[in-house]
Amino acid sequence: MLSFAFKSMATRKAKLAMTALSVVIAASVALLAYNISTQVSEGIVNTAAKYDIIIGPSGSATQLAMNTMFFTDKPLGTIPYSVIDDLNRSGQVNAAIPFSMGDSYNAAPIVGTDPALLSDKALLKGEMFESPLEAVVGYDVAKAYKLNPGDQIISSHGLSHDGAAHADHPLTVVGVLRRTDTAYDNAVFTPVSTIWELHDHHDEDHDEAHDEDHDEDHEEHEEHHHAEAGEICAVLVRSKSLSDYAALMSYYGDSTDYLAINPNTVLREVMDNVDLSRKIVYILCAVILVMNLFVVSVIALLNMYDSRREIALMRLIGVSMGKINRLYLIQNALTGLCAMALSLLCAHLCLWGIRGFVSRMGIVLNAARVYPLEWAILLCVFALSILPTAVLTRRMARKDSLEA
Amino acid sequence: MIKIEDLFVRFSDGSGIRYRDMCFDTGRSYALLGASGVGKSTLLNLISGVLTPAEGRVRVDGEAVSALPQRERDLFRIRRVGYIFQDFKLLEDMTVQDNLNLLRLEGVDTSDMDALLDRLGILRLKKRRVNRLSGGEKQRVAIARALIKKPAIILADEPTGNLNYDTGVEVVKTLLLNAGEGTLIAVTHDDRLAPMFDERMDMNAVAEWVPGGEARQHA
Repeated sequence: MLSFAFKSMATRKAKLAMTALSVVIAASVALLAYNISTQVSEGIVNTAAKYDIIIGPSGSATQLAMNTMFFTDKPLGTIPYSVIDDLNRSGQVNAAIPFSMGDSYNAAPIVGTDPALLSDKALLKGEMFESPLEAVVGYDVAKAYKLNPGDQIISSHGLSHDGAAHADHPLTVVGVLRRTDTAYDNAVFTPVSTIWELHDHHDEDHDEAHDEDHDEDHEEHEEHHHAEAGEICAVLVRSKSLSDYAALMSYYGDSTDYLAINPNTVLREVMDNVDLSRKIVYILCAVILVMNLFVVSVIALLNMYDSRREIALMRLIGVSMGKINRLYLIQNALTGLCAMALSLLCAHLCLWGIRGFVSRMGIVLNAARVYPLEWAILLCVFALSILPTAVLTRRMARKDSLEA
Repeated sequence: MIKIEDLFVRFSDGSGIRYRDMCFDTGRSYALLGASGVGKSTLLNLISGVLTPAEGRVRVDGEAVSALPQRERDLFRIRRVGYIFQDFKLLEDMTVQDNLNLLRLEGVDTSDMDALLDRLGILRLKKRRVNRLSGGEKQRVAIARALIKKPAIILADEPTGNLNYDTGVEVVKTLLLNAGEGTLIAVTHDDRLAPMFDERMDMNAVAEWVPGGEARQHA
């Protein structure tokens, strides 16, 4: 029966290919929409959960949160490194981690910090940075530029790759992070002192340029915030207790020089503000899903209607409805299974294709991640591929062979 | 032996055909003659169980085949009847051998396929798609599909309709040869071929068309 099913399918290659293609397009759009929206939401929540306070210069809370959590947007400005010493001396913190950003390597942000920022991240190769001008690169950066421990990278001033290069002060890659599926995969980490050293050097060049020519590019550089020696962009804090948290929030929050935020709260507010658009996205996803499932079932039903003559003919020569039913179930199940596999592959290839674009926004999509609901969607697609067979053959079985 | 008892079939427009009682003996061949629409093909459909009569019975060796459930009638047709349809009823997109092998789904042994196709002169077409065959070639494929299961009853609806006289004679000879101890009932319009059969039955004399209103009253 299986070989006859294959032969029967071979006679309808083009039609089956078109059917499978329609199903693949419909199902993969649904899978992609669901997967992206879920991974983006999860990425935001997971990243924000690690620190309870972020202290930076006064300004936008959202900008501070997005900058320190996802390495997106520009830093608000700088605060003295001494804030960290103050926090450590206070005895109210488990960790106070410096954060500085302002340079980049091929558009991947370079984060000046200390190894504690990466304490929960594992190294794929090499070791953690210790000295100035040493760097640990994120998984995607290492993969994209084929970086290994011992390689040297030239950073650019500013967060776009077209800034002036710090060619005289290359960073030496000493380690590569394991994949984290977060913004960390698309960043370069180095000691804060590296940033200070690069900018001391850059400012010397800058002063010379200033004397020679005061052009427009130069003015842009003036607007760019970068940490001078003894300055950082923010401090990421894990407070010791709830009371310490409240005291620190109160102390730094009340200061006019500083901004203290809870990243969870800020990002939740951001999410709440975009809640309507998120709901719209979910509704659109649901509509796409329902429409696609409808399309799949209509295609499957039309295919079966096309096969009515063949079914009637088999009945006329005496092939039982049970055998005919099984024959078409096998054919439609094979088509459905192929469509399922291709839909999953297609959706996750698209995910892989757009992950580079999304990672630049600080959210790293895992193309290999499959959610249970995706399997459920695929099972629906499979069920809809075979359901019309059962319905139509059952209906035809009730008629005389000649009527059928 | 096939017995037709008080048989009446009704069509969807309400009209119908009533058949007089008749009998087809085992080991004999019959030519059904008569004008178009008189009920020759319908009789073959009733005997094979393709159609269900509104009244009366078709008995084959004493068993009321027409009263059997659908599945039983399907089994009767696949096991005991070789039916050559007027319009062939072949899977057009499949090859000749696939059309015959289709019967293997119901356990029919098709190992004699090559010999049979050779006898019918279409062995060379075995792997050709049916939609690439001429009308005459398709007719022979339909005959091969009917004969491959060595049926006890051969029903042939205009089996020579698409063939020239000489080929028609050869085909009838083949059918008669394969009918052997069984029963062959063939519909034909060709008066020259009719004498080759043991008996000729004028359907105008045994089938009566009943118009819609009367058929409903009859029912």
